[in-house]
Order: sequence, then C-alpha cells, then structure tokens
Amino acid sequence: MTSSSINHLKTGQVWRRGLFVATILGSLSAPLLAMPADAANLRVAIAEDALTLDPIASSDNPSIWTELLIFDQLVRPSKDGTKLEPGLAEKWTISPDGLDYTFTLRDAKFANGEPVTAEDVVYSLQRAAGEKSDWARFFKPVTKYTIVDPKTVTLHLDKPFTPMLNNLALFSASILPKKEVEAKGDEFFKMPFGSGPFQVKQWTHGEKMVLAKNANYWQSGKPAVDEAEVQIINEDNARVLKLKAGEVDAIVGIPFNQVSQLKADQQLNVGVAEVFRTDLVQLNTKKKPFDDQRVRQALNYAVDKAALVKGVLRGNGKEAVSSLPVMAYHNSDLKPYPHDVAKAKALLAEAGYEKGFSASMLVPSGDVTYRQVASALQSSLKQVGVDLKLQSIEGTSQYSTTKAGNYEMSLSYTTSDTIDPDQLIGFTAVNPERANAFHTEWKDDRVNELYELERRSADGPEREKQFKEMEARVHDGAPFIFLYHQGVPYASRKNIEGFEVLPTSNYRLEDVVVK
Amino acid sequence: MEILKFTFGRLLQLIPVLLGITLIAFLLLRVLPGDPATLILGNRGTAEDIARLTTQLGLDRPLWQQYLAFLGDMLRGSFGQSIAYRSAVGPLIMERLWATLALVGFSTLLAVAMTIPLALIAALRKNGITDHAIKIFFVAVMSMPAFWLGVLVVLLLSVVYPIFPVSGYGDTFVDRVYHLFLPALIIALGTAALTIRSLRSSLIDVMRADYIDTARAKGLRQRVVLFRHILRNSLISTISVLGVHTSWVIGGTVVIESVFAIPGLGYLLVSSISARDYPMVQGLTVTFAVLVVAINLVTDIAYAIADPRVKLS
Repeated sequence: MTSSSINHLKTGQVWRRGLFVATILGSLSAPLLAMPADAANLRVAIAEDALTLDPIASSDNPSIWTELLIFDQLVRPSKDGTKLEPGLAEKWTISPDGLDYTFTLRDAKFANGEPVTAEDVVYSLQRAAGEKSDWARFFKPVTKYTIVDPKTVTLHLDKPFTPMLNNLALFSASILPKKEVEAKGDEFFKMPFGSGPFQVKQWTHGEKMVLAKNANYWQSGKPAVDEAEVQIINEDNARVLKLKAGEVDAIVGIPFNQVSQLKADQQLNVGVAEVFRTDLVQLNTKKKPFDDQRVRQALNYAVDKAALVKGVLRGNGKEAVSSLPVMAYHNSDLKPYPHDVAKAKALLAEAGYEKGFSASMLVPSGDVTYRQVASALQSSLKQVGVDLKLQSIEGTSQYSTTKAGNYEMSLSYTTSDTIDPDQLIGFTAVNPERANAFHTEWKDDRVNELYELERRSADGPEREKQFKEMEARVHDGAPFIFLYHQGVPYASRKNIEGFEVLPTSNYRLEDVVVK
Repeated sequence: MEILKFTFGRLLQLIPVLLGITLIAFLLLRVLPGDPATLILGNRGTAEDIARLTTQLGLDRPLWQQYLAFLGDMLRGSFGQSIAYRSAVGPLIMERLWATLALVGFSTLLAVAMTIPLALIAALRKNGITDHAIKIFFVAVMSMPAFWLGVLVVLLLSVVYPIFPVSGYGDTFVDRVYHLFLPALIIALGTAALTIRSLRSSLIDVMRADYIDTARAKGLRQRVVLFRHILRNSLISTISVLGVHTSWVIGGTVVIESVFAIPGLGYLLVSSISARDYPMVQGLTVTFAVLVVAINLVTDIAYAIADPRVKLS
C-alpha cells in the first residue's frame, strides 16, 4: 500500500468512527456516500479462502486462482480458453515424433530480481512429478529433462502424449524459484513469490490476502494496480451488499435470482462467465433399468433442460449435449435432447417399462440450486411414469457413495482443470479408467479405443475428429442425463475496467484498471 | 488463593472431559463416509494416487494408532498437520481464535448492558405497556433467523444508511470494535431475549421476599434496596443462563461469521468437517472444550461474587 493510500484510508476510518460514536450518542445521521475506491488498489471479494499456495498440493479453486496470479507456467491458456499461448516460454517446438518438447524461456525475473532459468523449470516440474505431488500423474510422462542452456530446456517423453503441453499450463506446473524453495522448504509457501504479476504481501487466513504488484513482472505496464486485496466473504448476499456499498470493487459469485437486478444497477458491470463445467445426473448402468440405453435416452428426452436454464439458472447458463463442457474440439453438430414426452414414453415402452418405474436420486444437501433442479426433475420424470425419490446427501459423501456404486441416480457436476477435453473424456466416458465413466460404469469400446488414439495424435484435424466422435458416442450412449452448463456471474463497479472471470474460472487481475 | 485452587481443580477435571470429547470426535469423523484423500484428488486421481496420499497422511494406520498419535501430538502442544491447509493446525486455530473471542466477549457485554436496565424496567412495570413492549420485541427478534436479521440490519445500517461497514474485521482495536458492533449486536439480541426473561422473573420473585420488606422497613433508600438487595439476589439464575448461552455462542456463530465475513472458528469448523480435515476438527474440538470449561469457571466465580453464600470449593 502506498503512503498516500494509507492516509486516505485512515481519514476515512476516523470519519466513520466519529459517525459511529455520534450514532451511539443518539444523534440522527443523514445518508452518506460511500468512500471512493482508492485509485491504485483493487479489492475483490470471493467466497472461500485459498487453503495452501503450494501448487502441487492444491485442488481447491481459490488456491488455484491465487497461484495463477503469483506463478507463471511455461505456457498458459488464452483468455477465451480455446488455445495455449506463450507464458514463461516465449516459444516452443515439438519434435515430429511427439517425443521432444523444447522450450525457449523469455527474459523473465522472479519477484526477488533473480532471473528465471532452465534449472528452475526442471526443478519445478520434477517436484510436480514427485512423491509429494497430488498431480504427479500429469507430469510422469516426461522421463528426461535436458538443460540446453540457461534459457532453453528440452522435455523428453518415452511415448507420445499429446495432453502433455496442456498439463504444462496447469497451476501445478508453476515455475518456482529453486533456490528459495530449497532453502526455505514448506515455509516458502506461506508467503510465496514467483515470476507472475503479483506476490503475497499479507495473508490472514479466512479474512483476506493482500497481493502486491511484482515490479519485475515481464509484461510491461502490468499489473495496472499496486495492490490487489482479495477478501473472503462466504455469504452470497453479504458479498453483493459489500459491492453495492462500495466496500469492494468486484465480486465473484452472485445468486442467480439477483443477477438481473444487479444488471439494472447503473453503478455496476455484471458478467456471466461460461466456465468449463457441466451439470448432470449420473445413471448407474450396473443397475436396472439404467443398463438399457433406451431408458437412459428416454430420461434425457423427458427432462426440459431449457426450462431448467430459464427457471433455475435465470438464463445464466446453456443446455448441455454431453458430459463435456463447450471447449476445444467440441462437436457442434450435436443438439441437446429435445424435451419430448411422447418419444420418452415410446422408448420406455420399447424397453419394457411402459408403466414406468421408481428410482432414487442423490441430491447434494445445502445447495439451493440443486434442490430446485431436483424438484424440477422429479416433476418432469413423473410425466413419463418415473417416480423419483430424492435422497439428500452431504456433498462430501456423495463422491465416495457413487464411487462405491451404492446409487441409482445422482445429481452432480464436473469441471475441467485444463483447456483440453482429454481430462474430462477420461473422467466421464472411459471405462476402465480412474473413475469408470464417472461412476456410471458405462462402457463403450470405441470410446476407449479413441481415447488411446487421441492421446497419441498430434493436435490437429485428426485429433479433433476423434474427440467429436467420442462426444457423439457419449451423447447417444447417455450414461448421464445431460443438464446444463452453469455460468458464474460476477460483477464490478463502474470505475473498474477489465475485471472478468475466464472460462477456466480464474481471473487475471493484472489486466484490471481502477479509474 | 481459593480461586487459584478452584481453577486448578477445574483444570484437572478438564483431562477426562478432553479424553472423552476427543475420542467421540475422533470416532464420529471416521464413521462418516468420505475420506480426505479421495476428496483432495477428486476427479484427478487414480486408485494408486489415492492410496499413496492416504499413506502420506497416515490414514492407513489402525485407528487406535492414529488416536494415540493424536494424543501424543496434543501432549507435545500441537495438533498435527492440517490435511486441507497442509500446515500446522495450532497456528491456524490461534489466528482465528481472537476473532471468535472478540465476537463472543463483545456480544456478551452488549447483552449484559441490555439485560440489566431492561429487566429492571420490565419488573418494576410488571404487566405494563413497557413490559409487554420489551417482551414482544425480543420474542420477535428470537423468532427471526440470524442470517435474515443480519442481512436486514446490514441493508438498513450499511447500504441504505451507510453508518457501519457491511462486513469485515478491521485492523486496529477501535476499528475492530466498529466492525464487530453489528454482528455482536445481533448475537446479543438473541442472548438478551433469554436473559431478560430470566432476570425479570427472578426480580419479581425477590421483590416479594420478606427480607426486602425488612430492608425497606429499616429505612434504606429505594435505590439501595433495588441494586444491593434485589438485583444482586436475582442475578444467580441469570448468570447460569448467560453462561450456558455463551458456551453455545462460541461454536454457534457460524451463520453470523458468514454473513459478516468474520474469520472465526465456527466457519473453520464447518469447512473442516466438510473437507474431512481430521486433525483440524480434533484441534477445534479441544479448543471449544477448553473454552466451554473456561466459561463455566468464570460463571462459577461470578456466582461467588454475586452471592456470598456460594463458596468456591
């Protein structure tokens, strides 16, 4: 914080404190204008605090978002999330056999002024593939590292693995200052710095994190703010009120039923990010009647997805065609299952369930949106003779319950960490794989075959075709009721420019200008 | 001296209490479905990844070994490593303890400040308009959910009439008092609703007692009778209500903490349970137990001060 801003804040506080005393004494106060935002500082409110800032031990969004502001990766997703762009590496080449990745580092410095070298890169990536890493699987395909010179490094693979480049854009592939991490150990991650636009200046757990501008950041002129303060406000309404009162400049996460009202507010800019997320109902294909593809399709026809988007999300989302978000290699020929009760009934009759059946569905407790969706599904399915029993379950237990196969239907969602569909295809459609088609146990040999191929094929039209075919097979096989892609509404005050939530769910505060 | 001996005795009693509480918390957590390793790795981990992390976290050992390890950690004055935060539990709890204590202390002060005058007025004007008005107001406050009342108060006093900050915790002492005023007030209203009722009825009982007639008959002034004899003798039951309620407030401020963005222990507990952060929940359980025992201790000492017949033993 600059000295002028400290003075500014203090004056404001004394002024308000005087007012507070005056109120206690019982004098009546007139409405006052909120303090203007400090020109050089930005205040953002989000719902949850980061847990840890060690990139190889993080899996929660707030930790990931913060790490992306502090550290650089070799490559990074473009703002629209459709391709990779240079990060710390200003250029790279992949050998024709797909086995050697050579990166040329740009002239970047860590926040302490030390240059970023190939040695830092190798250290960080080996750490990410190491024993202590929760993300080792993503980096194990690299079997050898060669430091060509301080600014050039080559990664060798034993066999082609196309998602590798995307994995290098993950926060867990952050490039750390080797010397510092080795000297300080875990302590380093309490106040970490990297070569990214910001560094941690103060962190009060559960309250706020103050990020100071990294004066050595390689993108000249960025960040535009001296300091970004990320405040933690769990309650949705409280966050909205804080923005309205001008106590913060931007917020992430707005209750869907308040979005249109905030859009009408002249002092605010409101946006809805189309993040890589799909909401769906898992169908346990090991259990009757969900073993029958016709039944699963019938359920998809029976649900009015457009009504869910309109009624529950208040328009802040899109209907889903498959378990994949709308991302790279998306099959745009696919259309969502239309709401067609007659067709659903016909399919059920064909499968021998003309009288319908009854089933239970797990619903994560404590989530208003899910509760509304669950009741809507219940009444939709009733029209085709399916009697749905809702079974509330604590969110934490849901994953292990479906994993153990103790369910019929389960209302859930998936999100992607990378901009490549490989991660979610592997998670939601491939069986056997780590989740056996997200616990549905659905099995499609052609998808399995294409998955193997896709991971070996270089990026291009061939790989695109493979993904499109897989997505079409998931759509037809319908191991899920595909619901919608839920957006993330965010808002900022009019004097803030460039605040946006990206499809990858994070925000680039270095691009934000306070006017 | 007597107080010291009494305090020490109470601290000794804490040991079996803590053993019991930690054992229950320890077992309950592990009965819940969902394990930390699966939660952390989610859709990213294979079965081997999950097994490796489980071993790393020491969760593959037999339960009794894990419990003994936890007791060992506790004796060494630490609660181990948080699974979610990947750092020592102790400092993380300490960081938030002050916010919770400040909120609880401030709200208790406000509650007492409201209770004594309002209960006196209500008792002196028994069944009058003021008495009924006080009763109706606090019944209404008690019937409103805290988060709703909180949002309403913020809307009125922070957005429409920006007198108080919407939320936050502040940086300096005065700033914190200013930030904590609204949340403490909302908790205090809930507490006062109980204590005013309790104090009012004991005041009315005491006013009817023979010794009050004696006090009046020997010519003491009304004010002396009221404060030295009536109020002091009526406080006993209210002190226990206040003590019990304050113990509850310590762990029960989650909603207020969320609405006002106060980095307290309540929210940490809820999120740690969701994350199956065993060491953190165990550490918090012990912290809460110590705090509740401490409040009971203070309550007992307050008895002795209010009523000379009560001996600390």
